[in-house]
Amino acid sequence: MSTETAKGLRQPKRANEKLFRTLGIEPVPDEKKVEEAIRHLDDFRNKLRSFVVTMENCVKCGLCADNCHTYLGTKDPNNIPAGRADLIRKAYKRYFTPQGKLFGPLVGAEELTLETLEKWYSYFYQCSECRRCSHTCPFGLDTAEITMVGRQILFWLGIGPQLHTATAGAILKTGNHMGLTKAGIIDTLEFLAEEIEEDRNGLKVEFPTDKPDSDILYIPSSADFMLNPNTLKGAGMFFKWVGANWTMSSRITEAGNFGYLMDQTRIQREMVTRLYEECTTLGIKKIVWGECGHGWRAAKMYVASYSDLPGVAKIPMTHIHDEVAALIESGQLDLDPTRNSQKITLHDPCNYVRACGLCDQMRVIMRAVTSDFVEMTPNRERNFCCGGGSGVLFDDPAMYEYRILASNKKAEQVRETEAEVLCAPCSICKAQLYPMVKEHKLPVEVVGLIDLVGHALVFPEE
Amino acid sequence: MPFVEIEGKQVEVDEDGFMTDPAAWFEACAYYFAKGEGIEQLTDDHWKVINYLKEYYATNGIAPMIRKLCKETGIPLKEIYELFPSGPAKGACKLGGLPKPTGCV
Ligand code: SF4
Ligand code: SF4
Ligand code: SF4
Repeated sequence: MSTETAKGLRQPKRANEKLFRTLGIEPVPDEKKVEEAIRHLDDFRNKLRSFVVTMENCVKCGLCADNCHTYLGTKDPNNIPAGRADLIRKAYKRYFTPQGKLFGPLVGAEELTLETLEKWYSYFYQCSECRRCSHTCPFGLDTAEITMVGRQILFWLGIGPQLHTATAGAILKTGNHMGLTKAGIIDTLEFLAEEIEEDRNGLKVEFPTDKPDSDILYIPSSADFMLNPNTLKGAGMFFKWVGANWTMSSRITEAGNFGYLMDQTRIQREMVTRLYEECTTLGIKKIVWGECGHGWRAAKMYVASYSDLPGVAKIPMTHIHDEVAALIESGQLDLDPTRNSQKITLHDPCNYVRACGLCDQMRVIMRAVTSDFVEMTPNRERNFCCGGGSGVLFDDPAMYEYRILASNKKAEQVRETEAEVLCAPCSICKAQLYPMVKEHKLPVEVVGLIDLVGHALVFPEE
Repeated sequence: MPFVEIEGKQVEVDEDGFMTDPAAWFEACAYYFAKGEGIEQLTDDHWKVINYLKEYYATNGIAPMIRKLCKETGIPLKEIYELFPSGPAKGACKLGGLPKPTGCV
């Protein structure tokens, strides 16, 4: 079923059965879908405490509504976090609570139907898993977790967006979202090294790939190879400046993890397995993560528990922002903030500030590498999502329109700062904000944070 | 998978209307997909971009970084967007029979 036929619901274009089969999923026939979904819900409630807590405790106080950018942008009640969670909660009550079994609709319980599953598909792919709702809810109920449960069950039924499903296919094939090949990776990195040499007075920066006996494995976002070259360049210049023995790996050229956004089992695990195999092959002592919000969350919070190789699970893992901030604080970097002198504001990637404790580090860096930094309001852990979170970067007309609506709040925040540059250190944020600033007619340039670091670093040989 | 008919040939495309097999591309495909993208005429500059993409893909198995595309064809990004309104990564790839980019684009 496509966007047009699903009863007025806004839905992303879905992947076909053939694509699902390449991921090892046999799509469930319509007449079995409801039954299967209930069975999965039963499993989740037995396994996942956070799921049960959210199912059992919402008091419908409504506080979360105006704190979700998707509701603010669309005014659709199913986009109120509590409304979104209700799409599952009604079935949960009906099948797993005594009151629901006895009194049904009187206590908010409802049979699960194919129509409801269509709503799941619509509204769980309008949630960006940004967790602003859970930050606001007096009970800390986390609708992002419910979205994850919903998306996972849909995936097992054989329902998922073309974008996420095709990206999962690229993961299995190449270990990155874009389907980058080793030849493409090396060619791009050579091109970037030449650009630096031209722009920076003959400065020579190497971008090692698959280099054995490296101390540091840097995990870039694959989107940086297509859209965000300055982020890659910044990382290369940083590692050169500190004299690191570093490498990237062509088998895991991906900071993100679309598995985490759709299938937190097979696909998510694939990335973790590759990561650790590469650490072993290359003799890695430390993993440094690149700019990607959901990917850093998936790495920092889930990698150890997904690893089947306990030895390598002990390899320390940090974010490149942690590395840079620590060296700035100990006075070890030579930075010239006047090289980034335009008025600049910072968009806090939700996953950094509400799921990874990566917040002050970004400010330490901003203050050291720019000379006119202005905060947007609200900021830090109260920041609003860019509207593209969890990979809802759909370009079919209905969903594209949704993305722009969901970024209304962000556009308003940016406009108020009167900044000329918008720093957004996350690949999904960048991919969302490039078109967003155009559609909202914001006269700002979108950049990453490591881009600015590279630009501000002063090399003696320059 | 759906098929479209181009000059009497059945061409397989994905859900987004991109060709599934770049090797099956022939010139008429570019004209066919151009129509769907609202591109009236294919100029020399269009072909410069398409040919570079195809050549790069044949060697590297992936589309080039956008900045490299601009540099090698000598066409600035702004003009590439005028040539291909849905952008180099999407519109231009579609005309050249390259797969649709996945991930955070
Ligand atoms: S804030 Fe929490 S308790 Fe209140 S409606 Fe939202 S989810 Fe329910
Ligand atoms: S996680 Fe974000 S997008 Fe999803 S319901 Fe909560 S506030 Fe809205
Ligand atoms: S895309 Fe960026 S802003 Fe949006 S949820 Fe992810 S981290 Fe947040």
